[in-house]
Amino acid sequence: MTMFDKILIANRGEIAVRIIATCREMGIKTVAVYSEADRDALHVLEADQAVCLGPSEPVESYLNMDKIIAAAKQTGAHAIHPGYGFLAENPLFAQRCEQEGVVFIGPPAQAIRDLGDKTHARRTMIKSGVPVIPGMMQPETDPHVLAREAGQIGYPVLIKAAAGGGGKGMRVVRQPGDFSDACVSAAREAKSAFGNGDIYLEKYIDKPRHVEFQVLADSHGNVIHLLERECSIQRRHQKIIEETPSPALTPTLRDKMGKAAVAAAKAAGYVNAGTVEFLLDQDGSFYFLEVNTRLQVEHPITEMITGIDLVRQQIEIAAGNQLMLSQADIVGRGHAIECRIYAEDPLSAFLPSSGKIHFVKEPRGPGIRNDSGIYSGFTVPVEYDPILSKLIVHAQNRQDCIRRMIRALKDYVILGVLTPIPFLVDILSNEAFIKGETYTDFIEAHFAQWQPLIQGIDLVALAYVVDAVANRRRPTAVAQSDAEAFSPWLTLGNFRP
Amino acid sequence: MNYTLRIAGQDIPVQADFTDEGTITATISGRSLIAHYRVISANQIHLDVDGAGVNAYLTDNQEGKLINVGGITYLVQDADALAQAGPRRRGLKELPQEVTPPMPSVVVRIMVAEGNEVEKGQGVVVVSAMKMETTLQAPFKGRVLKINVAEGEKVMPGQILVDIEKEEEKKDAG
Repeated sequence: MTMFDKILIANRGEIAVRIIATCREMGIKTVAVYSEADRDALHVLEADQAVCLGPSEPVESYLNMDKIIAAAKQTGAHAIHPGYGFLAENPLFAQRCEQEGVVFIGPPAQAIRDLGDKTHARRTMIKSGVPVIPGMMQPETDPHVLAREAGQIGYPVLIKAAAGGGGKGMRVVRQPGDFSDACVSAAREAKSAFGNGDIYLEKYIDKPRHVEFQVLADSHGNVIHLLERECSIQRRHQKIIEETPSPALTPTLRDKMGKAAVAAAKAAGYVNAGTVEFLLDQDGSFYFLEVNTRLQVEHPITEMITGIDLVRQQIEIAAGNQLMLSQADIVGRGHAIECRIYAEDPLSAFLPSSGKIHFVKEPRGPGIRNDSGIYSGFTVPVEYDPILSKLIVHAQNRQDCIRRMIRALKDYVILGVLTPIPFLVDILSNEAFIKGETYTDFIEAHFAQWQPLIQGIDLVALAYVVDAVANRRRPTAVAQSDAEAFSPWLTLGNFRP
Repeated sequence: MNYTLRIAGQDIPVQADFTDEGTITATISGRSLIAHYRVISANQIHLDVDGAGVNAYLTDNQEGKLINVGGITYLVQDADALAQAGPRRRGLKELPQEVTPPMPSVVVRIMVAEGNEVEKGQGVVVVSAMKMETTLQAPFKGRVLKINVAEGEKVMPGQILVDIEKEEEKKDAG
């Protein structure tokens, strides 16, 4: 059994901290990389060594392949873990690592490339018998062809732009009579948004659930799945709450989908950890969506129910070792939920909230895990994704898990930046959520105009007065750093590059 | 002692007396209560009200105190002190009338040039923070006098990025 002596973590924030933790448990030395804005970040403080990449802009730091590879060579790191985001799914980076003799802890560059191309991925899945969303392979302009395809796919159909996403050039058509007008309108919108009016069709899934399966594949041909995750609570296509098991899966369906996930990974020649995403229709049909060729943000909920450390598995696989787990070893116990804690203001359209974190008190207790990248005194940089931490909770069943998460959220105090914690509490307390009616339109359907319930103000007022008069332990003058942060006249000089 | 505290958009009248050691008697919005308190740390106070224990977590920021009770954080301000401070402080309330970012950001794109005529609401500067782009708009119809920043520059709330002279009337600079 071979193992790396030293690993460089090409990422930041909570995921870098989490990867470093497993490396330390395995006796592997760690190298952190950081931008100037992250000089005092937690991942830098926790690593054995740290290399400064340069200015804060991602292109100068966390996205800069040359600098990261140079840092690996300089420190003698034999492997690089890319985390999620940044370079994790960049086939050029995986290839550069291969060329430079540094092990990329993830799939081969070719697998990343093939699965990153949506039409290529679809063709691979169709060939291997993995169900895909019925739809067209190529864009089309002939209205007769389009109409015929729509008939074959079956209404409702979704018109999509070939050249881009984000909802532009998308139309849902439920009646054949509306079809040709919708095509004209979609093509016009696509042309204006992307300069290319090409459109194609897919079957539209009404009220789908987003269910994904974790897979692990070693370099000896062994592939297993580690059960599913349901990620239907999303806001603007960004996941905010994930859980496992999915309330919608029966053991039979789980088995079918798990086998399909393994087949998909095998068809793509996949190695290391990956996630196969499906859309689940209300009638139990499921369709391949895509493969995420990285460790995902929500991986901890799988770790909680299976007891398996996925980062550890990734490192073992990358070192060339055979998977010590068989499919029969994968058993899920209890229920787990994850809430992503972003620095965002839920009352101002979730605008990012930056600034200094004055105080943090983390929740504790049985079945509580908090993967965090922050601490009291840390200033959240503006240049990156505003994820502060992931709060993960495990309990014997779904109802207990929901109650445990609500309690943990209420115990999680972050002062200095705004977070959507009260919004998350309200989602978890919502009747539809408790019943497991978690479709991807959940937020729009139940929380479009959320306002927090204001209560207990008397106690807040009391606390204010007691603090003002009786608390000698904190100087009440406004902290100098805060005053400087808001006065342009004092700080313009500090921000010249 | 008397306070008017602004919490969650409401102005709450508070009258409080510190009687024995560790005891406060207060009337809040007309409701009377007696509470025992203990200062646990710089950021935590334990309150005992009607036999129920509650923890309050606190810190100060630029605008007042941030206080978390029962899982919700409130900004609490002394409304009387705010009234005294008045318009002297350039604050976030003035922003809509100027081309200035709502939060610390980076200038991504400057959409106008000095001398351009602009309409009210026309996009003037695009700034980026935490991977989100925001387009700052001209607050009124007028003419671009001066562009004060360059692409790639870091900018702060309160900083005027573009000077626009309002049509038909002179605007004070800065």
